Amino acid sequence: MRRHVISAAVLWVILTAIGEALAFADLYPTVGSTEADDFDRIFRILIVMGMPVFTFVIAVLFYCVLRFGSFGMPAGDGPAYRGTGPGPKVWLAVTGSLALTVMIFPGLTGLAKLQPDKNGNGWGEPNAELVVRVAGFRWSWTMEYVDAGVTVSTAQGKELVLPIDTHVKFEIDSTDVVHSFWIPAFRMKIDAIPGRTTHMTVKPTVLGRFEDDDAYRVQCAELCGLDHSTMTFPVRVVPRAEFEQWLQSQKPAAAAE
Amino acid sequence: MYALFSIAGGLSTGLIGFYLGLGLVAIVRGITGHDAYDEQVSITIGYVCGLIGWLMGIGMWGAWGREWFGLRTYWRKAPGWQRYFTFSPDHKVIGIQYLVTFIVVFLLAGLGAMLMRWELMESGMQLFNHDQYNAVMSLHGILMVAVAVAAVIGGLGNYFVPLMIGAEDMAFPRLNALTYWLVPPVAAMLLATPFLGGIEHGWTAYPPLSVVTDSSQILFGLAVITFGLTSILGGLNFIITIIYMRAPGMTWGRLPIFVWSMFVTSWMALLYTQGFAVALLMVLLDRIAGMSFFNAEAGGDPLLYQHVFWFYSHPAVYIMVLPGFGIALEVISHFSRKPLFAYRYAVGGLLGILGLGGVVWAHHMFTSGMPNYLHGPFLVATEAISIPTGLVFLAALGTIWMGRLWLRTPMLFGLAVIFNFACGGVTGIFLADVPTDIHLQDTYFVVAHFHYTIVGGEIFGLFAGIYYWFPKMTGRMYNEKLAQLHFWWMFISFNVTFFVMHWPGIQGMNRRIADYPESLENVNLFVSISAFLLGASFLVFIYNMIYSWIRGPVAEANPWAARTIEWQVSSPPPVENFPEPPVVRGHPYDYGVPGSVHAVFPGAATIPAGAGGGQ
Repeated sequence: MRRHVISAAVLWVILTAIGEALAFADLYPTVGSTEADDFDRIFRILIVMGMPVFTFVIAVLFYCVLRFGSFGMPAGDGPAYRGTGPGPKVWLAVTGSLALTVMIFPGLTGLAKLQPDKNGNGWGEPNAELVVRVAGFRWSWTMEYVDAGVTVSTAQGKELVLPIDTHVKFEIDSTDVVHSFWIPAFRMKIDAIPGRTTHMTVKPTVLGRFEDDDAYRVQCAELCGLDHSTMTFPVRVVPRAEFEQWLQSQKPAAAAE
Repeated sequence: MYALFSIAGGLSTGLIGFYLGLGLVAIVRGITGHDAYDEQVSITIGYVCGLIGWLMGIGMWGAWGREWFGLRTYWRKAPGWQRYFTFSPDHKVIGIQYLVTFIVVFLLAGLGAMLMRWELMESGMQLFNHDQYNAVMSLHGILMVAVAVAAVIGGLGNYFVPLMIGAEDMAFPRLNALTYWLVPPVAAMLLATPFLGGIEHGWTAYPPLSVVTDSSQILFGLAVITFGLTSILGGLNFIITIIYMRAPGMTWGRLPIFVWSMFVTSWMALLYTQGFAVALLMVLLDRIAGMSFFNAEAGGDPLLYQHVFWFYSHPAVYIMVLPGFGIALEVISHFSRKPLFAYRYAVGGLLGILGLGGVVWAHHMFTSGMPNYLHGPFLVATEAISIPTGLVFLAALGTIWMGRLWLRTPMLFGLAVIFNFACGGVTGIFLADVPTDIHLQDTYFVVAHFHYTIVGGEIFGLFAGIYYWFPKMTGRMYNEKLAQLHFWWMFISFNVTFFVMHWPGIQGMNRRIADYPESLENVNLFVSISAFLLGASFLVFIYNMIYSWIRGPVAEANPWAARTIEWQVSSPPPVENFPEPPVVRGHPYDYGVPGSVHAVFPGAATIPAGAGGGQ
């Protein structure tokens, strides 16, 4: 029995060591914002935390199959363990504390950072330096830079341009069905719902544009009918000065000249 | 001829009912000064009348309806295989009816998945246009949900719960027949949707899309409401059967774990299925009566639907996966030749899932824009449900530890349930934690996760059960070599397909899309090829099943030397199940306990049953 426990434990440690390598792998699209940084970090933490649980099951399973398994009918019955000892209680305590840990960190702590406003309908700071009002419709988007009075769409502007290192708040709604506003490079999404305004605040930290990197795109992530899959919109993150310049060029007066 | 007569009778009275319904609508509309035909209203009323006609024609009139008018009831008695095409009260016939029907639906829906993977091999559109892709994707979704909800409980549950608790039949045999015969119209309606434009809104049918889309939505809604009815009635029947029909001595503490899983699943179905039906009824009323439940401009709220819908559809995933757990634990105990480890904790785990299953639904809505204060409680409840689920793993791992593992096909599938669900469970943490879910919600990460839990947890369990009970149901043995080939082929290609599928999700490929960015082309090609291999593995299964059912070697009554009661009668069991009623004396899983007995048949001068194994 002791020998079996030690061998299975060694197998567990080896499998865990191999599995944890996944935490170092670069599985992610371009990190384009502070939120994306947070996501990648928490994702890696969860791999580190979840891997030993997964490999524990796999190690016991493989060990038992390889060590105790046979293709012919076994000659006798196994030992009649019923689990009446302390084992199940220990198991409950361990799994319970693991669940509690994941709940608090990174669950609730991460949530607190994402939701400073408990009564809002979305992510991030309710106050931001730049507000963009987004309307989803089948099957594209319009984005309105509220302060500048500039609106971009597939007809006008043709891309969502954002200044780097700026808190940008999106206020999102929909004119017809439920859509979802998602920018993979920023790892953030929130649904666009008719009749209520949702919001999300992101802080882009890396320059980039859709032509070079498709993680810089707005993608509808809630099935909205016929052309759902192509309901995308290019995103470009630019230096602040260039952003001001671009904004001026998009103003109705400038466009008319 | 009986079979043909039975089905033709049902179809003709069904059609008569349908046209009577259309006529009724035409008359009322004509009198009130509208056009005689309105697609949505006419289909709705026609369907309801047609459904009643179908049920009456298939045999419900003779077996049940006549009683309402004081007439003598009768059953159509058909010989041999033809009884599977009649309104039969025998739970064993109904079990086979369910099982075969849902295997066929499973294969059709799987074919849909193959077509989707064909389309997704390359970026851009090749096989389908957007419309066709959405229709195939939605049909795959709803058909597979139906299979996952009903194949195990309707098929294996119906067949084996009465046998395992020592009962003659289910508590309400006619109700049981009714629940099965509601299924063919559901399948027919869903398969008819492509001819009315195709389902555009996935199996979730979120409004406003489901309110504004074409008329096939009506078929979808009516089919799902009907299907919900079968689920509720079936669940009710199982609950009553398990409470009141147990053999003497079959205490709650001696109930086989598979029966426990059916009991918990039935409670889930009875308590929550109304949610889906009511959500779709509200969509239906929005469509045909302009009620504006979900129309924001008229004061409705689209989020209302999502809450009501997920109030059922999250418990539904436990309706899907608990039967898989039940079969896995059942098989693992018998094939480890050991008592089920921590039996009481395993039962407690199932009951814990029942308790918590109803308060986690909004984790499907973390990015839906619901108020922020709701996220915390649902995150906590969702993480907490991993604790009772962990008890199922405790039972499985404790049982195989130091066991005498007999690696026949049922055992391999049973162990695969534990393997797959470990992966599906761990990836679930990423989705239960809001900070990671924001990005992963509605991506292929989710698709991979729920295929790991539902296919990996339940469908593998379904196959474990089919192979395990095949000799009991058919009286013949399947081909072990082909079965092992099926297992390894399916297990490896399943894991390759869905493990790799997590990655495009992280990379930014959202689900339910006909087209995707070119940068994800290679990984999608890989997943598609692997998925084709997965699909091909079922050909081995079909061949093995059909050939063995007809030509397989005759099976013994108890080829696995298992202790539970269903193995103590002939294969297949006689119509009345037990020539002599059994009396339960001990625990079903007491392998290795000298002198232990599970059940005896005191009326018959036979040796105590369940004393097999290595005694």
